[in-house]
Amino acid sequence: MDLLHHFELHPIVEMHLFGIDLSITKAVVMMWIACCLTFFLLVMGGRRAKIVPSGVQNFVEAVVDFLRTNMILETLGEEGLVWFPFIATLFFFILFCNLLGLIPGAFTATSNINVTATLAIVVFFCTQAAGVAKHGIFGYLKKFVPKDIPIFIIPIMLPIEIVSQLAKPFSLAVRLFANMTAGHGVILVFLFMIIMFKSWIIAVVPLIGVVVMSAFEIFVALIQAYIFATLAAMYIAEAIQEAH
Amino acid sequence: MEAAALAYLGGGLSIGLAALGTGIGMGFMVGKTVEGMARQPEASGLLRTTMIIGIAFIEALALYALVIGFLLIFK
Repeated sequence: MDLLHHFELHPIVEMHLFGIDLSITKAVVMMWIACCLTFFLLVMGGRRAKIVPSGVQNFVEAVVDFLRTNMILETLGEEGLVWFPFIATLFFFILFCNLLGLIPGAFTATSNINVTATLAIVVFFCTQAAGVAKHGIFGYLKKFVPKDIPIFIIPIMLPIEIVSQLAKPFSLAVRLFANMTAGHGVILVFLFMIIMFKSWIIAVVPLIGVVVMSAFEIFVALIQAYIFATLAAMYIAEAIQEAH
Repeated sequence: MEAAALAYLGGGLSIGLAALGTGIGMGFMVGKTVEGMARQPEASGLLRTTMIIGIAFIEALALYALVIGFLLIFK
């Protein structure tokens, strides 16, 4: 029994373009579904908005307002509202990717390092673009070296700052990937226990474990989507704030 | 011992030791947050958000160890 078999991807439609593997796999299909769900949820919630919200609009308004006050206004401030659509889209997309993976037979797109790394790289470039747009190229580069430090410290400080910039997308990608993989891995280990012991009496204990872990996974799916979006907002806030 | 056996041992040890360290860290963090909440209940919203972000940073360290464990065991 191979634990990682569950996380392997097998192409449904083989496709190669200029030597790049563009095959359509289960993860790609799950991401399409997540895209559609995000799109339709938000369109349904925002279309024909009423003063007194009801149904879907009620739910969407509550979540969007929570994201707006908690992620944007508290970290980026008023000027950061430009970034609100990006952050909110990230949140909803990752949330749906995580939650879809909990359906039996489905695949968690975010348990693949390629997906999370792509999202993290997008966040990285957005962070740099936000900093450059706010301060200009030289103003932004100046932020890498703190003011009023002795000249001989600069060769030490500059590499540390550059490495810390590059470590941010890495930690974003690995955090989401490892959280989703580890959660599903624990559920699988419990399920394997049932098969290994081959006993109806012992099977009850792993079954309870599976139910509890699945409930915990719903919580983790929410928290991880929230953390990814919050950290993206914080990195952008760090890039656009004034040097000190 | 064989190299493969050592790799399994290393994988197990890496996640165990990482869980030890991050467990202590998270314990301190949540304990202090609860202290702050008890002292100042009106600030609990802000404290909770900050705590969750902090936990994400601490947790990442254990997850790096998990990835290393995967690399060692399933190479």
